[in-house]
Amino acid sequence: MAFVNWLKRNLVVIAGLLTLGYLLLPNVIVTVFSFNKPKGRFNYEWQQFSLDAWKQPCGVADMCGSLSISLQIAIWATIGATVLGTMIAFALVRYRFRARGAVNSLIFLPMAMPEVVMAASLLTLFLNMGAQLGFWTILIAHIMFCLSFVVTAVKARVMSMDPRLEQAAQDLYAGPFQTFVRVTLPIAAPGIAAGALLAFALSFDDFIITNFNAGSTVTFPMFVWGSAQRGTPVQINVIGTTMFIVAVLFVLASMALGNRRNRQKA
Amino acid sequence: MTTDNSGDVRLSGISKTYGSFTAVHPLDLTVPQGSFFALLGASGCGKTTTLRMIAGLEEPSSGSVHLGDQDVTHLPPYKRPVNTVFQSYALFPHLDIFENVAFGLRRRGIKSVKKQVEDMLELVQLGEQARKKPHQLSGGQQQRVAVARALINHPKVLLLDEPLGALDLKLRRQMQLELKRIQTEVGITFIHVTHDQEEAMTMADTVAVMNAGRVEQLGAPTDLYENPQTTFVANFLGTSNLIEAEVDSRNGDEIILKAAGAKLTLPGARCSAPATAGGKVLVGVRPEKVSLTHADDAGEVPEGRNRITGRIADSSFIGVSTQYVIDSPVCPEFEVYAQNIDRDARLTPGAEVVLHWNPAHTFGLDAAQDIDAGVETVEADEGVAA
Repeated sequence: MAFVNWLKRNLVVIAGLLTLGYLLLPNVIVTVFSFNKPKGRFNYEWQQFSLDAWKQPCGVADMCGSLSISLQIAIWATIGATVLGTMIAFALVRYRFRARGAVNSLIFLPMAMPEVVMAASLLTLFLNMGAQLGFWTILIAHIMFCLSFVVTAVKARVMSMDPRLEQAAQDLYAGPFQTFVRVTLPIAAPGIAAGALLAFALSFDDFIITNFNAGSTVTFPMFVWGSAQRGTPVQINVIGTTMFIVAVLFVLASMALGNRRNRQKA
Repeated sequence: MTTDNSGDVRLSGISKTYGSFTAVHPLDLTVPQGSFFALLGASGCGKTTTLRMIAGLEEPSSGSVHLGDQDVTHLPPYKRPVNTVFQSYALFPHLDIFENVAFGLRRRGIKSVKKQVEDMLELVQLGEQARKKPHQLSGGQQQRVAVARALINHPKVLLLDEPLGALDLKLRRQMQLELKRIQTEVGITFIHVTHDQEEAMTMADTVAVMNAGRVEQLGAPTDLYENPQTTFVANFLGTSNLIEAEVDSRNGDEIILKAAGAKLTLPGARCSAPATAGGKVLVGVRPEKVSLTHADDAGEVPEGRNRITGRIADSSFIGVSTQYVIDSPVCPEFEVYAQNIDRDARLTPGAEVVLHWNPAHTFGLDAAQDIDAGVETVEADEGVAA
């Protein structure tokens, strides 16, 4: 009886912890197996603890090269999609123009389209244009599919912005440029940052579209996929764990920053 | 008043139309330097649009706006020596109080702002809060920041767009006095938009009552209240009892009227309608001007007062006064506010009474108008435009 009562009182906490576990278990596995010393070429069974892979993260041929390409593409795609997407979001929220409704819905289309369909049609497009497949075709494709997500994230923020804030800035002697830099941009920043992070994550781990349009270029997800056929090096887990830790540090840092700001205010 | 007129606001024939909708009909208005001017009206009457045209946030469809001798009609808001206190304040959420207040100075390239900002925060009693963010302040404090942020620029004119609308009643009363104090202290022209008639009357030297994009009447608060020129003003500003009456005759300065058997006298000077014998006018009187006497004592009512009879339909005791609703032949819901000095215990619902008042308190309005204009206006929050 006491146990049932305890269960009743803590049901939400238990459900929450279980869900969290469900979400994080794959990451735990990736991390644990980055310390494995597999017998064969496949890193699927726990053998013994080892730091070998962590000592030589680039010990596998071509892996770090593909990682570098992926990071470059992700950074440029993030910049491109964030700049374009922010402009589109502002245009859609702030201005009334012909076909605004149509643009609004068309922007969502790439998100709804099955990725493999889009990948194939992009390939057709590039081939017909006679474009050389590689870094640039990947980048163009990534900016394209990241755009919708950035627009969605920024639009939500811009919509909740009080237009009177900008009017107040103008009323207080700020010209259009000053108003944008001093008021509009700082207030829209959280939405833009969210869009940029999303774009980075999407671009970095995209496989399907990249695989179709990469030509002979190999990105990190393509490398992982390719090696999975022949054997998985432990270094893949090292990279995965590192990415996870960087992301966690990023979140912790932003939380700490927010906390400090709040404490200053109080 | 000084002879300096650089803070005069002159609107000449300004109007604003959105497509086929006219928010403001061509309007002429002069607000003298140093005055506290209120634009009063219900939601959508065009008062906020008028204000925004002065601020430069809305381009007039026609007409011109002058500040002193300068034509500012086509100047963008950031080039006008005018600042606004916005409805819901529009404080910059990403900046602290100090930076909010310093914003205007910094944009004009003034480097040493510290002293000025601190003085201004002192004026609005927020010196302690300089490093807080707007959302950490209460509504009343935010309101004062908004005022400080505008005033620090020493504008020629300060525009206030329903600045007290978001505050609760008690705080609003306090802020009304506060704003009035600040205005007296800094001596610049204040133009205040509000739908709260009490607020307008408490604070402003001059009130313009707006309705459907037009100024219905303009004047000092007492003048508007005592001598309304239209039914809208009579009903919107306080409460009025309006009676349809027929002009019987004119006797020198007095107009004699008939309404359902009662004979009423109206000073000719207080009638804004043409009163020809046989024509109709609306006779008005404010509820607090009317006395109630029980029908048994009808003989005690002094001669020369306007009098009508009726029956008390309802009475509500509200402490300082008692409000009666009288069912009378001339008006089914005649309101009377009686001070609770000597209460007559017989004045309860159902009692037959005589209503009487000094004819000098009677006013006459054009009978061609809607008798209910401006009654019971719902005080909804007004949007940005219109």
